[in-house]
Amino acid sequence: MSALFEIERLVVRYGEAVAVDGISLRVDHGERVALIGPNGAGKTSLLNAGCGVIRPASGRVRVDGDDVTGATPAVLVRRGVTQVPEGRHVFASLPVEANLQVGAYGRFFSLNVISSTLRYVRRRADVRDRLDRVYTLLPKLHELRERPAGRTSGGEQQMVAIGRALMAEPRLLAVDELSLGLAPLVVDQLAEFLVRLNEEEDVAILLVDQNAVLALALCERAYVVETGRVAVEGPSSELRERAELRGAYLGGGP
Amino acid sequence: MTTFLQLIVVGISTGSVFGIVGVALVLVYRTTGIVNFAQGVFAVLGGMFTFELRPHMPLLAAIVLAVLLAAVLGTLAALVAVGFRGRTTHLASLVITVGIALLAEAILLATVGEVPRSYAGVWRHAWDVGGVLIQPQYVLIAGVALAATILLTLFLRGTVVGQALIASADSARAAELVGLNVRAVAVIAFAVAGGLCALGGALLAPTVPVVYNADLALTINGFAAAVFGGLTSIRLALLGGYALGIVEQLVVGYIDPQYNLTIALVVMLVLIGWRSRRELVA
Repeated sequence: MSALFEIERLVVRYGEAVAVDGISLRVDHGERVALIGPNGAGKTSLLNAGCGVIRPASGRVRVDGDDVTGATPAVLVRRGVTQVPEGRHVFASLPVEANLQVGAYGRFFSLNVISSTLRYVRRRADVRDRLDRVYTLLPKLHELRERPAGRTSGGEQQMVAIGRALMAEPRLLAVDELSLGLAPLVVDQLAEFLVRLNEEEDVAILLVDQNAVLALALCERAYVVETGRVAVEGPSSELRERAELRGAYLGGGP
Repeated sequence: MTTFLQLIVVGISTGSVFGIVGVALVLVYRTTGIVNFAQGVFAVLGGMFTFELRPHMPLLAAIVLAVLLAAVLGTLAALVAVGFRGRTTHLASLVITVGIALLAEAILLATVGEVPRSYAGVWRHAWDVGGVLIQPQYVLIAGVALAATILLTLFLRGTVVGQALIASADSARAAELVGLNVRAVAVIAFAVAGGLCALGGALLAPTVPVVYNADLALTINGFAAAVFGGLTSIRLALLGGYALGIVEQLVVGYIDPQYNLTIALVVMLVLIGWRSRRELVA
């Protein structure tokens, strides 16, 4: 069976600079996979090329075995791959609930506003159900639903960003820097939530994080990226044991 | 007193058109981050198209068609300004819109020439209200500007398309990641803004004849009105338009017509300074 999401020998260049130099990775249905490595290793470039934000110089991106290299993020969202961007990027002036609704609308939106809106309206009941589901998963968002997303805390904004991505009913949630700028307690809660989401809702997780301790604790498998290449890959338990990793990537952790 | 009221009436009607251009500028800026310096062109086109179409059909049909044509041209402008790959920076887009304005003026000069164009409005006779002459056309322009502003606000706040537009203004990055096509958003905003300005221009032409290069003054006034609302508030952009129109008419009536734009812009500058100071304090 083909992988849910697969990247094959992907290369990303910015002019002369090579950010990603032939990385391959796969995420299977319902898996939790971590992508770790130091700042500037090419993690975000890899993720962005995988999600259609930037065009790779070469290599392939596949969803369910179908080639989607160079497709727009809209196509990937429709195929079930949604990214939670680094820095959260909530729609600050919209209320939390509108943030979530736009998350569902993205799947229908096209230049033909009338037909895409009709499609959205026709499935309004589904969107409503989905909204209730996201509120059940993240009750805090229900409390905050009328507040402009820009006036919520960093941890709450991360929740909004995750909830917004979940509105598109992804099969793979690619989270870029879950922990960035958040208090450890908040990070733990979000991490717990991602595990629950994975186990109960069967959503696969691709977690990109500089915090290797967190990412390895959270995920079953991991890829360690260094200067645009995969340095090591394997089960998290094995990677945790490796001393060289401890020095290089665990940032003085245990 | 009668003179004063007369000037206010005229000021509100010309100010409504500045307001319409301002609202259009805000719409485009809020959704795409681009200041569209060609926005006034669409008002000129609205007047010109209506003038050309009017001999062939009823006035109302001519205006509707002119608005649709302007919306189509707005779409084209969006594609050129935002770039076919949607990767043009906002600053580059701004410069491109200046180019579009100059190009449009050149084309209008070559085709319709320097002659100002005007035509009869909906009603020919003015109402006399206690000595103040009110052209029905003034009321129509003011009414349309107000209705358009309210409708646009409702559209942005209350519909999912409107919220998608605001979303992509808040974060183009995140909008793209939830599957919104940022280029499509720009096209929608430019088209609606272009159509709106064309409507304003078509309604203005019976009272103020349109010339090929009228767009610059409209864009500057519209921009001043939009800046009054911090380039983000549609409501304040309309109010800014009124303020600008009234001040300009008062200057025309009591001081000297040749200073009307200068003084109006100075007044706007003071108002903007006062507003931003208040925001800093608050």
